[in-house]
Amino acid sequence: MSLIVAALGFGLVSMSIIAIAAVGFTMQFGITNMINLAYGQVMIASAYAAYALNSRGVSIWLSLLAGAVFGAVFSFILNRLVYAPFQRKGTNLIGMVIISLAVSLVIANVLLPIVGYYSVSYHLNPGPTIHAGSIALTGVQLAIIGVAVVTMLVIHALLRFTRLGKAMRATAANPTLARNCGIPTSRVIDLAWLITGALCGIAGVVAGMNSDSFSVASGSEFLIPIIAASVLGGAGHPYGAMIGAVIIGEMTEISAAIISPEYKQVAAFVALVLVMVLRPQGLLAKRGALAAAG
Amino acid sequence: MTYYLTTLLVYAAVDVLACLAISLQFGYSGIVNFSFIIFQAAGAYTAAVLSLPKDTANGGFQTYVLGLHLPFPVPWIGAIIVGALLAPPIGLVVLRRLRSDYQAIAMLVISVIASLMITNTPAFLDGAAGLSLVPQPLSDIFNPYSQSYLWVYAIGGIVVAAIIFVVVQRIINSPYGRSLRAMRENELAAGALGKNAVALKMTVFVVGGAIAALSGAILVGFITTWAPSTWLYPETLILFAAVIVGGRGNNYGAVLGALLVPVGFEEATRYLPPFGPPGLIPAIEWVCIGGLILGFLWFRPRGVIPERRRIFAPAKPAAVLEESGAGRH
Repeated sequence: MSLIVAALGFGLVSMSIIAIAAVGFTMQFGITNMINLAYGQVMIASAYAAYALNSRGVSIWLSLLAGAVFGAVFSFILNRLVYAPFQRKGTNLIGMVIISLAVSLVIANVLLPIVGYYSVSYHLNPGPTIHAGSIALTGVQLAIIGVAVVTMLVIHALLRFTRLGKAMRATAANPTLARNCGIPTSRVIDLAWLITGALCGIAGVVAGMNSDSFSVASGSEFLIPIIAASVLGGAGHPYGAMIGAVIIGEMTEISAAIISPEYKQVAAFVALVLVMVLRPQGLLAKRGALAAAG
Repeated sequence: MTYYLTTLLVYAAVDVLACLAISLQFGYSGIVNFSFIIFQAAGAYTAAVLSLPKDTANGGFQTYVLGLHLPFPVPWIGAIIVGALLAPPIGLVVLRRLRSDYQAIAMLVISVIASLMITNTPAFLDGAAGLSLVPQPLSDIFNPYSQSYLWVYAIGGIVVAAIIFVVVQRIINSPYGRSLRAMRENELAAGALGKNAVALKMTVFVVGGAIAALSGAILVGFITTWAPSTWLYPETLILFAAVIVGGRGNNYGAVLGALLVPVGFEEATRYLPPFGPPGLIPAIEWVCIGGLILGFLWFRPRGVIPERRRIFAPAKPAAVLEESGAGRH
C-alpha cells in the first residue's frame, strides 16, 4: 500500500512535467491546427542547450531559463522556416504530420553527432528529501512541481486576462473571422510559437532534471505521454491537457509501481486507446480528435 | 559477388513489396499508416517462429513461443495470415472515428509501443536480442549456401514482387480502386455517394498488412535474423520517403522509389569511405531521408512519376458525378 502512496508522490512530479509539455503541445495544435511531432525533439534539444550551460558551471535554474529561451526561439524559427511556408502552400493535415515527423528525424540526427550517443545528466544538488507519510520527494522534485504550478497559473492568466490571450483564443476558434475583426493573426501565431516553444523548452529541461540521465533517444519517449494527455483532455484545449496530465502522470507512476517500470509508457498508451475508442473528442473539447465527417 | 548481388535483389524485392503496400494505403487511399513496419515485423517473426525448431534446440540460447519447424510454404502463408489478422484490431481503434492526422499519430504511437513491448518481453520473441538462426526455406532439401540457391531465392523474391504488383494494379484499376481514390480526395462526398469509407479503409489496411507481412517473411528467410532494432518507427518513414519520391498514387512510382531510396541509399553509403566518429554516416543518412521528404513535398509534391491524370468521357451523368472528385489533385 505504501508503495502505491509513494507512487502517487512520483505521479505528482510526472504530471507536472507532462502538464508543462502537454499544454504547449495542445496550444500549438489549437492555434495552428497542426500536430507538431517534432515537439519531443525540440524538448530534447532544449534539454541539451541547458546542459551545455549547466556542464560549464552555470546553475541549473539559470540553465532552465536558457532552455526555455532556446525552445522558444527554436520553435519560432521552425515554424517560420518550415511549417508556415508549407501551410501557406496549402499542404493538408496529413502532409503536415509527415512533414513534422521528417523534421523530428532531421533534428534528432543533426543533434546526435553534436552531443554524442552517451546519456548525460545535469549537475544539480537534489536537495534534502522531504517525507510526508510514505511520499518522499527531493527538493528538486518539489521545485519541479512548483515550476509547473507557476507555469500553469501564468498560462491561465495569459489566456484569460490579457488581450494577447483573447486574440489567441479567437485565432484558435476561427482564424479567418479573427483576421476580419482586426486581430493581427500572423503576429498572434508567431507569439504562440514563442510561448509554446518556451513551455516545450522548460518541459525538456525539467524532464532531464527528474530523470537520472537523458539522451537523444529520449525525445520520442517523451512524446507518448504528451500525446496521451493532450488527446485525453481534448486536443487544442489547454485546460483539458492539464487534466489529462494529472491522469496520465498518476497512471504511469502507479502502473510502474504495481507492474514494472518498463511498461510505464504502455499505461499511457492504454489510456490513449481507451480515449480513442470511447471518447475521441477528449474530456473537454467538442471536436478534438474527431473526424469532421464523424 | 554472387552473395552481394543476390542480397541486393532480395532487398529490392522486399522494399518493392513494402512500397506497393504503402502505395495502396497512402498513395491511393490516403491512409497514413505510420505503424506499417510492425506489419512487416509481424510477418518476419511469424515466419521465423513457424520455421524454427523448439527454442530448446540450439542449446536454448534464445527463447521464443511456438517453434513448430514447419516445411517451407507454411511459414510464409502463416505470415500473410498474421499480417492480415493484425490489421482489424488496429484499424478498429484508429480508422473509425478519428481525424486523418490523429490516425497517423495514433499509428505512430502504436509502432513505438509495439517495439517497446517486444523488447521488454524476452520470453515472447527473445526481446531486444531478437531471433537468429532462422532456417532458410527448403534448407533441408537444398544447400542454402550454394550459389544457385541464392539466385533462385532472389529470383523467387522478384517473381513474388511482380505478382503482387499485378494484383495491386488490378485492385486500383477496378471500380473498387476508383472508390478508394474518391475516398482519398473527398471522404465526405464519397460517403454521400454511398461508399462506406470505414469498410474501404479496413479492407485496404488488411490487404496492405498481408503484403507487408509477406515482405517480412521473405526478408527473414534470407537474412535469417530479426530483432527490434530492425523495425523501429523511422524505418516506416524511409518507405514513405520512397513513395513520396517515386510518386504518390502510382505503382510505377512506388517501385522506382523503392529502388531509389531504401536500396539506393544502402548501396551509396556502402561505398563511402568511413569518416567521422562511428554513427555519423547513419545520422547523415537519416537527415538526408528527412530532407528528401521535405524537399520533394516542397518542390515536387507529386513525385518523379506523377499520378496519371484520369480523364473520363462524359458518358452517363451518374458516372461523371462519381469520378469528378477522383481525378483532381
